[in-house]
Amino acid sequence: MSFMGRWSEERVISAAPDAPSLAAARKLARSGPWSDTGSNDVLVWGKCQGSGKTPYQVSVDIAAPAYRCSCPSRKFPCKHALALLLLWARGEMADGGAETADFAEEWAAQRADRAAARERRQSEQQTDPAAQAKRLADRLTLMDAGIADFARWLTDLVRTGLASARNQPYSWWDGVAGRLVDAQLPGLAEQVRAMGSDVHARADWADHLLLRTGRWWAMTKAWTKRDELTATEFADLRVAVGWAMASAEVQAAESLPGPWLVLGAHRSDDGRLQQQRTWLRGPDETVVVVLDFAAQGEALATPQLAGALLDVTLARYPGSAPQRAMFTSPVAPRGLADGLGGGCSIAQALEMESAAVALSPWRERHPVLFAGVRVCPGEPGWLLDGSGDALRLVDAPVDSLLALTGSHPIQLFGELEEGRVRPLAVVVDGTVLTP
Amino acid sequence: MTWLADLRSSALVGTGRHAVPAPAAELEFRPPDGLSREELLLDQAALADVVTRAARRPSMVDTAKLPDAAPPEDARPASADAVRLLDLLLNQPPVGPELRTQLVTDWLQFAAASGRRVPHRLIPGVLALAEAKPAVAEHVDPAIGTRGRWLQGLRQKGSGPKGPAPKGSGPHPATTIDWAELRTADATAELERLRHIDPAAARDRVHSHWDTLSARERAAHLAAFAINLELADEGLLEKALDDKAISVRDVAADLLDRLPGSARGNRMAARLKPLLRVKGLLRKQFEIDLPPDPDPAALRDGIAAAPRTGEPDRLGRLDTIIRGAPLGEWTTVADRSTAATLAMLDGEPRVIDTIIATAALRADAEWVRALLDIRTDAGLLGCLPAAEREQALLRHIRSGTAQPMALVPLLRDLPRPWGPPLANAVLELLTAKNGGQLATMLSGFLPMALPPDTADQCRRLLQRSDDDGPRRRVFRDVVQYQSFRQSLTEAFQ
Repeated sequence: MSFMGRWSEERVISAAPDAPSLAAARKLARSGPWSDTGSNDVLVWGKCQGSGKTPYQVSVDIAAPAYRCSCPSRKFPCKHALALLLLWARGEMADGGAETADFAEEWAAQRADRAAARERRQSEQQTDPAAQAKRLADRLTLMDAGIADFARWLTDLVRTGLASARNQPYSWWDGVAGRLVDAQLPGLAEQVRAMGSDVHARADWADHLLLRTGRWWAMTKAWTKRDELTATEFADLRVAVGWAMASAEVQAAESLPGPWLVLGAHRSDDGRLQQQRTWLRGPDETVVVVLDFAAQGEALATPQLAGALLDVTLARYPGSAPQRAMFTSPVAPRGLADGLGGGCSIAQALEMESAAVALSPWRERHPVLFAGVRVCPGEPGWLLDGSGDALRLVDAPVDSLLALTGSHPIQLFGELEEGRVRPLAVVVDGTVLTP
Repeated sequence: MTWLADLRSSALVGTGRHAVPAPAAELEFRPPDGLSREELLLDQAALADVVTRAARRPSMVDTAKLPDAAPPEDARPASADAVRLLDLLLNQPPVGPELRTQLVTDWLQFAAASGRRVPHRLIPGVLALAEAKPAVAEHVDPAIGTRGRWLQGLRQKGSGPKGPAPKGSGPHPATTIDWAELRTADATAELERLRHIDPAAARDRVHSHWDTLSARERAAHLAAFAINLELADEGLLEKALDDKAISVRDVAADLLDRLPGSARGNRMAARLKPLLRVKGLLRKQFEIDLPPDPDPAALRDGIAAAPRTGEPDRLGRLDTIIRGAPLGEWTTVADRSTAATLAMLDGEPRVIDTIIATAALRADAEWVRALLDIRTDAGLLGCLPAAEREQALLRHIRSGTAQPMALVPLLRDLPRPWGPPLANAVLELLTAKNGGQLATMLSGFLPMALPPDTADQCRRLLQRSDDDGPRRRVFRDVVQYQSFRQSLTEAFQ
């Protein structure tokens, strides 16, 4: 397991849940309060003297990563775990030898037990085909009923008019979403909830609601005809309604070797869920996106730096390109690329989007690598190419982009979404930068 | 109306009350028969969704209105170490807000001195800090580099991200407008500006408009003469002593107090002289009489008339005379040096106070120095050149009579860093038994004021066991600041 190696300080910093935790950890990251510290290939452990009599027992599984501390903090990882990792990363930690501390050993054993039990449960489920088939049939019945209910709701919606829907309280939308969740259609539920706030937040709410209603309607139609869909088309629909694939199934399917180039990454936080999207391109030009999720207060997976080359194997989820993927081996950075490759113009990007919509009408976001585009100031900012075409920027740190590019033509990687570009990386003078 | 607009109105009102349009002919889409109105609308909405997304067109912007790309840089970026330190200060400051502001300012100054610049990616962070902290804004240029100035230019034009305009771009006083037409406050502001660059022109302007000004305007405009006051102003000030309004006369008298060589100064000297007598054989002392009731000329010079009821304030009249007369009058009567003359006023604290105020007002160096030997006063210290001021304050602290709290403003105004003797004297005060409170009050500027050679001493003080938490924090700040500054020095070598 020694491929993990020692973390860099940046890696530790990125694991911090918030700035105050990190600041507190920095103060603790000195040898003073620590005792019984040590590390092996998988674990780092130590005891930290806090204000109480008994020192806190801190253990970190650096491979997972997972954190455990006997302190009452609800931050995750807590300042003690971060401080310990900082010490370890800096090589300033006194290493107590090969003997793993009891508390760390015990925790690792518990984790291993739990993991084994989970695996056992899963394999038991898989080994009983009859029960499995029954579960699937039950689920489909539930989903069919939910889709039929949703279709009726859409019919009612257009009969009474979108204007009157806008006068409904949020609880009305939330109620519809709740029924969809009960019917195991959480992806649809999420879209309906978002609409509950979008009808008030967006100036173009009428068009947005009309087109989205159309898309929902098309989804109900597609669902009822799912037997006629290709495997790829059905997989896209599954994602749209929120029927997750078991990751074990995906992992077993394939193992695509690297190196994978990180094109860009985006983190978002809607107050309940944190999400991280990492766009990658493989040696054969395959573009995939790795999604990570974490609940509030939990640590998201370590973000990857745009322009980094990763030695890692990937498995793709079923669906149309660019597919979702998952890492199937530990991520080992292998260095930085001096560019992202060739890009396209704005008109070409929109043509690509058009083709992608024809292929998979549920997809809302398309990765694009632009070449020779200028970032121009405005509200909020524009992307402009040599032929005078422009696209609006969204979620863009325009100040930062202008500072990095000086409004000179550059390469830019971003996500095309509703006709706007979310910039995730720029290439300036042979360096890939994250704005 | 287009198909999409038709579809939108139908959907907004609802198919219950509005007909559903037929699909646009050019889409070549024919709905199947037997659909309900709702299904017909929903089918077309689905179609509209796909068509809209598959048929997006680029926007067009007026390129003529867009700013030019940034010109090339002429300075090299700072070293990797220096950049790392700036990044740390901006994004994960290891020190408190005041120290951070100071250290960023230091960074910018180091960069400017070594001809280096802020790397592009950190420019927005520096500009954002400069917007909140004027001290940073002052040193942003030239360290921000060509790219930074270009970005600032975009912000100013308002075509870029919103931000307040940089310093010095406030509305310029409208010199083209007739000065007499300005409102009083604006006219005074304009006059103050003029006094700074051309006192005579300001004087002429007030002089030529004097008779048309209201009493309030005369008083406000005359007060502006405090800037660059010169003996040539005397004529107008004498005229103002005859003014109808007491507010104008008071301003004139106060200003003439600062001109001991004026005719009023001589008149005051003539009033002071008969009041002073030297007595004592071995130990000479001044005996000071109180002034008589003022004659019309004295009243004109600003000496208070007798009130309608009660006793006149004769001590107040004496103060007025002392403030108006040249200080040389005292040495003349005593026939001694300034210091010896002051020694003869030992029992007269009120007179000393007035002399101190007068010497400070006139920045009379000889008297200021002599007075500082017997008394420490912020006003007096402010009149001294920096090096001398520090010496005076050091002597004062060493005398042991200093009120610790009174030292705070005096220390704050000293140029930094302090010399080692003063630094040591202050550290002694802080580490004394009750020094904690003083330490807290000095915390805002102590780290920047102590010279680098005191770093080791502060580190020792920090390690010393001390129950006084706030005092420990102050020393910790000092140590942090100095070690960070040391890193900056090395990074810019």
